[in-house]
Amino acid sequence: MINLSGVNTLDKGFEVSVMDGPLSGLRIIDSTTVYAMPTAMYILGDMGAEVIKVENPVASRVRAASVFPDNDPGEKPWNRDGGFHRLHRSKYSIALNLKQPEAVEVFKDLVRTSDVLAENNRPGVMARLGLDYESLYELNPRLVYFSFSGFGQTGPWKDFQGIGRMFELTSGVSQFTGYPEEGPRRVGGAWFDPPNGWMAVFAILSALHHRNLTGNGQRVDFSMYQMGVATVGDAILDYIANGRNGQIMGNRHPFLAPYGAYPCKGEDQWIAIAIENDKQWLELCRLMGSPLWVKSDKFSDGLSRWHNQDELDHHVGAWTSGYYHTKLMTLLSGAHIPSGAVMTAEEVLTDSHMKERKFFEEVTFPPKSRMGSRVYTGSPWKMSQTPSYIRRPPPDLGEHNEFILTEMLGRSKSQIDELYSLGAITKEPVPLPKPEPKKSEAELLAIKEKEVKDGTLAGYDPDYKSKLGMK
Amino acid sequence: MTKGALHNFRVIDLSSYIAGPFCARLFGDYGADVVKVEHPGAGDMARSFGPFFKDDPHPEKSLLFLYLNYNKRGITLNLNNSSGRKLFKELIKSADVLIEDFDPGYLEERGLGYGSLAAVNPELVMTSITPFGQTGPYKNYPGSHIVYEALGGVMYTSGASDRAPLAHGHPQSLYIGGVSASHSTSAALFARNQIGCGQHVDVSLTEVVAAHHTGPTTRYAYTGEIERRAPHNEAGSAKGGAHFEGVIPVKDGFVGATFQRGAGRRGTLADYLRLVGRPDLLKPEYEESLPAGRLTDEQDQLLLSVLKDWGKYEYFTTAASESWVAAVVQNSGDLANNPHLHERGFYTEMKHPIVGKIQIPGEIFRLPESSFKLRYPTPLLGEHNIEMYCGDLGYSREDLVRLHQLGAV
Repeated sequence: MINLSGVNTLDKGFEVSVMDGPLSGLRIIDSTTVYAMPTAMYILGDMGAEVIKVENPVASRVRAASVFPDNDPGEKPWNRDGGFHRLHRSKYSIALNLKQPEAVEVFKDLVRTSDVLAENNRPGVMARLGLDYESLYELNPRLVYFSFSGFGQTGPWKDFQGIGRMFELTSGVSQFTGYPEEGPRRVGGAWFDPPNGWMAVFAILSALHHRNLTGNGQRVDFSMYQMGVATVGDAILDYIANGRNGQIMGNRHPFLAPYGAYPCKGEDQWIAIAIENDKQWLELCRLMGSPLWVKSDKFSDGLSRWHNQDELDHHVGAWTSGYYHTKLMTLLSGAHIPSGAVMTAEEVLTDSHMKERKFFEEVTFPPKSRMGSRVYTGSPWKMSQTPSYIRRPPPDLGEHNEFILTEMLGRSKSQIDELYSLGAITKEPVPLPKPEPKKSEAELLAIKEKEVKDGTLAGYDPDYKSKLGMK
Repeated sequence: MTKGALHNFRVIDLSSYIAGPFCARLFGDYGADVVKVEHPGAGDMARSFGPFFKDDPHPEKSLLFLYLNYNKRGITLNLNNSSGRKLFKELIKSADVLIEDFDPGYLEERGLGYGSLAAVNPELVMTSITPFGQTGPYKNYPGSHIVYEALGGVMYTSGASDRAPLAHGHPQSLYIGGVSASHSTSAALFARNQIGCGQHVDVSLTEVVAAHHTGPTTRYAYTGEIERRAPHNEAGSAKGGAHFEGVIPVKDGFVGATFQRGAGRRGTLADYLRLVGRPDLLKPEYEESLPAGRLTDEQDQLLLSVLKDWGKYEYFTTAASESWVAAVVQNSGDLANNPHLHERGFYTEMKHPIVGKIQIPGEIFRLPESSFKLRYPTPLLGEHNIEMYCGDLGYSREDLVRLHQLGAV
């Protein structure tokens, strides 16, 4: 059982306003960039921790790299990027130029009052700034110093850069994935970014549990590569024991059939079906109207079905083609056959089950941002006592400079003014990016239509806001 | 001996196959006392699924089970038996966490739902991992890996647009579901220090995939645009990506190649030709930075031709040493022998009573003060029944025999 007399995490001299999240009362410095670690940090923020995003205004490219509301970057594109917003809700932002010694002092002051520092800088960067673990341990021995990198802090590949979408290859997942005659493929965007962020949350919480028992922080060494490889551990053992490597089998299963994606009525509509036992197969035969072909020896038992998959898939596909995908899913799932419509982003966002579970959360931005409200994914789990939810809209660059310096660090107005005049803090990227000419409605429409013609877009919905109930 | 960070927690693992067992093992890896509870007879379904040691299908030789269940003690328990249910409640009394993956309602029907267990132990954190969660219209639907990747939106944007949408060829959704369950469970334990009680954590595997695939949903919520998988590119370099970031064939396999250098910096075509030792192909226009978007077919063919005689590791280490973002498609054998993983201490030797000594993938991250350790090899079915029922719960050996005869254990 847990030691309830363990170290109280609330002895840091600031008031906690709402005690409703599992991590309320924790203060975390998010000195990370790109994708995986910002994901970890927003989860901790959704859980109620006070997450302070320390941003480098000199390299804030990630703030204007992706998607703008109605494709309009506006006057300050760095505050309007959906790719940044989705990873930075529930955080405060301070823009510190750590090339200035005064900014490093602010950083150190934050360290003195924080529970966790998360960083994913290249090896050596933190030490150059005087922010290595040994230096910060002197300031705060309770600090959990979380270092995240592609290949970890040691080993022959430690200096190599790693990004999530490349780890699908290096970590061994691509050896299974693709169309069989073509070779390996990547699936699902930057696959290993979010799960690495999720595992990082587990690692950070583990270090905090250790601190609850001992009073001590530590430096965590986390590598994306190892987390990825851990998800194919069973396959590595297959090699060690049997000398077998992974096979690319499309959507097929190593021993179950039918198992795959089958065409449905309409353009580019599909359903995933996974028959896992004879009972489900017999149910499927019944729903298909027990056609003559199912009585063939080729399909009468599981092993024969697996060996005759080309023909089997052809028959099943001919039947599924007569149905709309969601209708067919209701029919199959109602008969306890595992199935799922292959959903577009729009279908996921408007799915009745997701709606009833309130999986997506709406965030209303401050009026001056002219962002209106937008919808983001919530947590894939629900806690009955201490809910996670989006606690504040994604911040503008440096939006909380004043709040953090005044309320958290007790700096005076004149001290803050001096930091601005030195360039140690700012609210704008350095240098200011060149404004892009605003595109006309007609130009934007032409771009969309070209994408539809090229096949990278399935379509676009001018009424998307009302469909999602956004203001 | 350094104790693991989670050593004062006891976790009951009542789950099977991949997601729940992986979640529970992570707790065991970092010190928790994890008790794997299996149904008498067949046990965890991973015991009947392969791959198997020396391709010998045997419940103690499932490599999937061996991998996901070390650092646990193992007992058998029948929840369909009245004595079994009584034993289960006794186990729950001293537990901090229960991880289960039954269909919603299964445990309630046996008087073992969250309410009943919280009455026995108010500090219990109960984590339920199911295809669709405990509520909502799909809650009783069955799931499977490909179903989660379809409903979570991953498949529609993966593969080639003139072919069927593609899922991962290995059950990734279940592994990452286990990771998501582990951090929410750990956070609930953290909250217990402050609120004084446990709670129920309801994990939906479909939502795990949807929470992962946030790019296309955000794009729709900002622009109304519905992203689709990329058109098939004959040259192959754009496979799975919009730029030169696909999977490229080389002499002895495949590599991942990009124009990305450092954080957010992109190299030029000229930089790239110099990297791969083909300055003879330089043209003045290659020094210009590449416009965002797809390469022309000509550029595509050029890049494929300059890479085809490279070895996969030769390319990866050359490009990565020059700070280009690169990857190498590694197979299981490459990973088993990878010097970086060995030097990092990723592999640990496990001695198992049936399989013998075997090298297992182990430490995922390092907590220097309280790290990963192989504390228990994967348990045989019911291996720790005597230790648990007679030792921890105090039953006599005669009563343990009776419990066995009654079909409870």
